[in-house]
Amino acid sequence: MSPAAALATTAAAAPHGFLSPTGVEIAFLLVGLVTFGAALVTVTTRQLVHAALWLVVTLGGLAVEYLLLTAEFIAWMQVLIYVGSVVVLLLFGLMLTKAPIGRSPDADSANRWAALGVAVAAAAALVWVVVDAFRTTWIDLGGAPSGSTKVTGASLFQNWVLPFEALSVLLLAALVGAIVLSRKAKADAAAATTGTPAVPGSRSEKEGVR
Amino acid sequence: MNGALDVGLRLLVVFVVFLTFPLIVGQTEHKVMAHMQGRLGPMYAGGFHGWAQLVADGVKFAQKEDVVPAGADRRVFQLAPAVALLPYLLVLLAIPIGPGEGAVGQVIDAGIFFVLAVMGVGVLGSLMAGWASANKFSLLGGLRTAAQLLAYELPMLLAAASVAMAAGTVSLPGIVDAFEWWWLPWQIVGAIVFFVAGLAELQRPPFDMPVADSEIIFGAYTEYTGLRFALFLLAEYAGIIVLCGLTTVLFLGGWHGPWGAEGLGWVWTLLKTAILAFVVIWLRVTYPRLREDQLQKFSWTLLVPLSLAQIAVTGIVKVVIS
Amino acid sequence: MSRPSPDHPTTTPSGRPRRSVPGSGLAKGLAVTLRTMTKKTVTEQYPDAQPALPPRSRGVIGLFEENCTVCMLCARECPDWCIYIDSHKETVPAATPGGRERSRNVLDRFAIDFSLCMYCGICIEVCPFDALFWSPEFEYAETDIRDLTHERDKLREWMWTVPAPPALDPGAEEPKEIAAARKAAEKLAAAQAEPPTEPTDPQEGAS
Repeated sequence: MSPAAALATTAAAAPHGFLSPTGVEIAFLLVGLVTFGAALVTVTTRQLVHAALWLVVTLGGLAVEYLLLTAEFIAWMQVLIYVGSVVVLLLFGLMLTKAPIGRSPDADSANRWAALGVAVAAAAALVWVVVDAFRTTWIDLGGAPSGSTKVTGASLFQNWVLPFEALSVLLLAALVGAIVLSRKAKADAAAATTGTPAVPGSRSEKEGVR
Repeated sequence: MNGALDVGLRLLVVFVVFLTFPLIVGQTEHKVMAHMQGRLGPMYAGGFHGWAQLVADGVKFAQKEDVVPAGADRRVFQLAPAVALLPYLLVLLAIPIGPGEGAVGQVIDAGIFFVLAVMGVGVLGSLMAGWASANKFSLLGGLRTAAQLLAYELPMLLAAASVAMAAGTVSLPGIVDAFEWWWLPWQIVGAIVFFVAGLAELQRPPFDMPVADSEIIFGAYTEYTGLRFALFLLAEYAGIIVLCGLTTVLFLGGWHGPWGAEGLGWVWTLLKTAILAFVVIWLRVTYPRLREDQLQKFSWTLLVPLSLAQIAVTGIVKVVIS
Repeated sequence: MSRPSPDHPTTTPSGRPRRSVPGSGLAKGLAVTLRTMTKKTVTEQYPDAQPALPPRSRGVIGLFEENCTVCMLCARECPDWCIYIDSHKETVPAATPGGRERSRNVLDRFAIDFSLCMYCGICIEVCPFDALFWSPEFEYAETDIRDLTHERDKLREWMWTVPAPPALDPGAEEPKEIAAARKAAEKLAAAQAEPPTEPTDPQEGAS
């Protein structure tokens, strides 16, 4: 969950034990397990498009987790950006390849152990950072929603405006870079075969705007 | 217990609307399209002017064999219609038709983002169908669907963002509550961009390249038969309802009307939605299909700049009046 | 998107580009469909309402067999060879004592295979005795192609559906028979009424 939502939360309710079995917490755990399982399948399946579809399940599961933490805005953004756009882009790319129906024989990477090591290290770092940042912060689910659009927006544009703008600049740079690359390719193509109409809205342009 | 009953009742009402309204739109399309082409349309099923034509179609679809191609990815193929259809059911839950808590399936804080996000998920169904059918036409249809979604979701989001800025809230009932009549000229560009982009996302003519029958049979749905095919069709018409309802709520003031009793706001909502649905059909009859490159050009060179301009106008006016 | 078409030049006669409102073509298209919707439809609800066919419709060929002399012209001219005629000769006793016996053709079978017929109408054109006619009747579909060979009784039945010949055009020449009969009648009347005081009279009657 976003640190913004967490900051707005009161570190309330001392009587919470670790994993007191309320309905929401059980649901949170179960959804977490499903998400984790889907993520595992995503990286281990030999069927490329199935991997993309399992990624949908994983990202959707994350969105549900955000919802359970009352971070409604973040949850819908997750669905909108990741499920609605990134996965669509991914599937679009996969359809352009020769991804077969059934197992891809060459989907077995030789450096899977190295990949596992990197993944575990990254996960450990993230978990450590999150645990260190929040410790025993509890979200009061009963009170006013702490992850509503208003709260998120206020904290984003008051406390975290600098990282936000830095990210915007980064995205802008990526956008400009994509346009430059696509225009250069177009100019080269035009020089090579004069008279061939360039297709507007080419793929790199789209990715850039994304 | 009372709460559970209330929730159950709301779900039931939304479900009934979900099952009946698309049929009404479909029947209207049959008849309006026929008359716009100088024909009569269905006249037999049900006796009176063929009112039961779509019911008969449904019975026919149910009787057909459910074929899964031998080379297809079986489970993805079978799952695709549900993925295409269910998001629209969820979106329908969030659209308010009248003022107050009683006239919306479920009040959602970030309503705009919810509906746009979930509508985007519906397209995944077409992509899955296109890939899993093991058919070149289906694959091309899936590719076109994806390209179209990428091109048109941006202007749609920007137009919705404009109206959210105007209202100062992202909740759907909140936006309608804040609506004033002069928003209509103020947000007209955004409304048109939103509606057109929505049409493209639904793959309705003139933006129906993904199912262009003269080029790629029926796009991603080529291999589908029977009920699964019917579900895809139902998704398209449910999408029309959702798009028209959303445009009504966001840009046309929902339950606000020039006159009318206090408790009859929902009539206005339904009326505006129905008029928009008529426009959807009207556009389908009138315009020929765009070519694929024209479609992309239309979005990137016209709709996106227009929606950005609309956001700028919204921002300026908002600052001036506050 | 829009290409200049020859009948809609994009420039005015004076050479300046024509300033048309953007989207006016789109609006025009919408107006056309909306106008069509308010007009009466052209659909004919055929099984419920019979279509009003023009009198010379080529529906089916009827046979007026009393007129048929089994001359076989129709069968021979038919490009598809779809007319089948069987006949035999009968001798008719002499009408007057001492006269010669006459022989006469009697029609045994007259059938048209409508699965072969291409509705060219040559048989009707060539029939010298007006035994074949076009009928607008068209509802004779069969479930078996062999049943499309219709025999003389069926062709005879269709004869009753042949409409009367259409009225002549107001400016048309009179039919020859009627013109001749009228000329004779007028000549007779003129001769009876007035001897030769007016020399121009017969010419007027002839014109």
